[in-house]
Amino acid sequence: MKEGIQLSTLKPLLEIRNLDVSFRTQDSSLRIVHGLNLTLAQGETIGIVGESGSGKSVTSLAIMGLLPKPTGFISNGEILLDGRKISDLKEKEMRELRGNDISMIFQEPMTSLNPVFTIGDQLSEPLKRHKKMSRKERRTRIIDMLRTLGISRPEKIIDEYPHQLSGGMRQRIMISLAMLGEPKLLIADEPTTALDVTIQAQILDLIRTINKQKNTSVMLITHDLGVVAEICDKVAVMYAGEIVEYTDVRTLFDKPLHPYTQGLIASMPNMNERKGELYSIAGNVPRPTDLPKGCHFSTRCMYAMDCCHEEAPPTTSNGCHSVRCWLHVDQPEGHSVEIEEEKNVQYAVRS
Amino acid sequence: MSNTLLEVKRLKKHFAINNGLFKDKSYVKAVDNVSFSVMKGETFGIVGESGCGKSTTGRTILRLNELTSGEVLFDGQDISTLSYEDMRKARRKLQMVFQDPYASLNPKKTIRQILTEPLRVHGLFTKKEREEKAAEIIEIVGLHVSHLDRYPHEFSGGQRQRIGIARAVILQPDLIIADEPVSALDVSIQSQVINLLLRLQMDFNLTYIFISHDLGVVKHITDRVAVMYLGRIVELAKTEDLYDQPMHPYTQALLSAEPIRHPDQKRDRIILKGDVPSPVSPPSGCTFHTRCVSCMEICKTEIPLLEIMEDGRSVACHLYNKM
Repeated sequence: MKEGIQLSTLKPLLEIRNLDVSFRTQDSSLRIVHGLNLTLAQGETIGIVGESGSGKSVTSLAIMGLLPKPTGFISNGEILLDGRKISDLKEKEMRELRGNDISMIFQEPMTSLNPVFTIGDQLSEPLKRHKKMSRKERRTRIIDMLRTLGISRPEKIIDEYPHQLSGGMRQRIMISLAMLGEPKLLIADEPTTALDVTIQAQILDLIRTINKQKNTSVMLITHDLGVVAEICDKVAVMYAGEIVEYTDVRTLFDKPLHPYTQGLIASMPNMNERKGELYSIAGNVPRPTDLPKGCHFSTRCMYAMDCCHEEAPPTTSNGCHSVRCWLHVDQPEGHSVEIEEEKNVQYAVRS
Repeated sequence: MSNTLLEVKRLKKHFAINNGLFKDKSYVKAVDNVSFSVMKGETFGIVGESGCGKSTTGRTILRLNELTSGEVLFDGQDISTLSYEDMRKARRKLQMVFQDPYASLNPKKTIRQILTEPLRVHGLFTKKEREEKAAEIIEIVGLHVSHLDRYPHEFSGGQRQRIGIARAVILQPDLIIADEPVSALDVSIQSQVINLLLRLQMDFNLTYIFISHDLGVVKHITDRVAVMYLGRIVELAKTEDLYDQPMHPYTQALLSAEPIRHPDQKRDRIILKGDVPSPVSPPSGCTFHTRCVSCMEICKTEIPLLEIMEDGRSVACHLYNKM
């Protein structure tokens, strides 16, 4: 059964098909991400939402070819960038892509910059690696980039060290570093989690501008549905290593189908009456070592039926909204596949 | 007022920084002239961004840091001048819940030891009664008696935070200062812990000081909120009033920066320029004037006082100065 859905008719830039990521343990291997299907078109912004342990960061590392070797590896499926398979590239070929076609920004702007090199030194690295430029050209290029990202007095900043800058500034530097190679795809792993709300607003605004002006595709990994509502076109909700729901952002907030997504949205404090009891999902996220049989969410789900505890649900889709839940399987198998054929639904993504 | 539980008057906490042997020390004014009072049974929120002094305020009230000057009146008694030993006794009524559930529980002790320790320290009950109390409280916070003989590392973040809360509640204190109690937790666990805090407040008639940077959580749980910026309170109001109509330009910007709740929600955002200035050398006059959209001449020179407005809220801003 083909599970991938396409939310837009644009040419896909990134395609993930049936991806499994596993980690070797002492005597066996542990599957952390299972059966992931995603497509991202040029210029689109996708949000990957999930709690800790849901496998969202591991997915991004798999795309970047940064899984810790030899413990972590892709055990099934493939990742395509611009039609080219990148999941089995050699380290050397991958290095050509990184910083050039795909870039990543990390959660901790404090630890992702090297404290003993100046900002200029660190920012010239992708240019040295991927572009033929003289030292002077590089410097002008970096200063231009810093200026477009709203950093005041870039001529000074370029010769300063990371410790001289604030958290928000460092995250801007990280974004400049990622953008210097003019990547087609920018992966941002919790880019604003370590920052204050007023600085978060600045950074999200910046990512939105980059996405609009340079038509860069953005994959935003976050636990915060508010951030998703801010800048994403479409969303994949992950739970215990699987995508449980995948659709465009409005549909997700208006008509969430999976009980987990419904629970997440309902438990946002602003959705509840003040001082009243907050809606909450009982229990904890299961560890990857003891995932429940059947649906991974079955132990915490208020609608769990017998079949949920027995067998993992298939992903069903109507072309623009896919969900992995027994509640939305009308007739096991058969029917859902039929719907999937009507894939030509035009989908207007926020432009 | 008879139902005031805690009154903080002109609280200051300055940290000295050594600049070298022959140079003068400089001071970080982490908390500067903060005054507020907390009523019995209410939840008082303190919000602000990192470095604004909200956590230091909480810790200084409990004298986990010694205060530089000011008064802290708890039930009419000034606890800022108590001796170390007397303060320790007073803490039976004032407890704290910390942010990091991983760092605030002793990894070498079982949950039973962690929960009975506060009772033992305060010389309450016999050994047997203490264990009964521990068994009772662990059920109240939603864990099981069988958990008592386990160690902290065997629990998830949410469960650890429940243990941290149980440890504070077991003494039946009057006031709990909760410093970012849910910030380190996942979204679905956050709401469980908030529900627990709300339920305990009802059951044990607790008063909370709830310190957080999360505007959504603060809006949900608190009755009154103080907004802090660079060591000072810039606005203090009833929660509904503050969120409906923020008055201080900083509060307005802070509230507008909160992520939206639905993609179709209108974004009317005030984006602040730059970063929070260093608290070692805060700007002259109003500390917010460097980033304020409605900055006037007076703001650069004169510190605005926290003035009480007609509807009972207080704002420290020259825009609302009656003169």
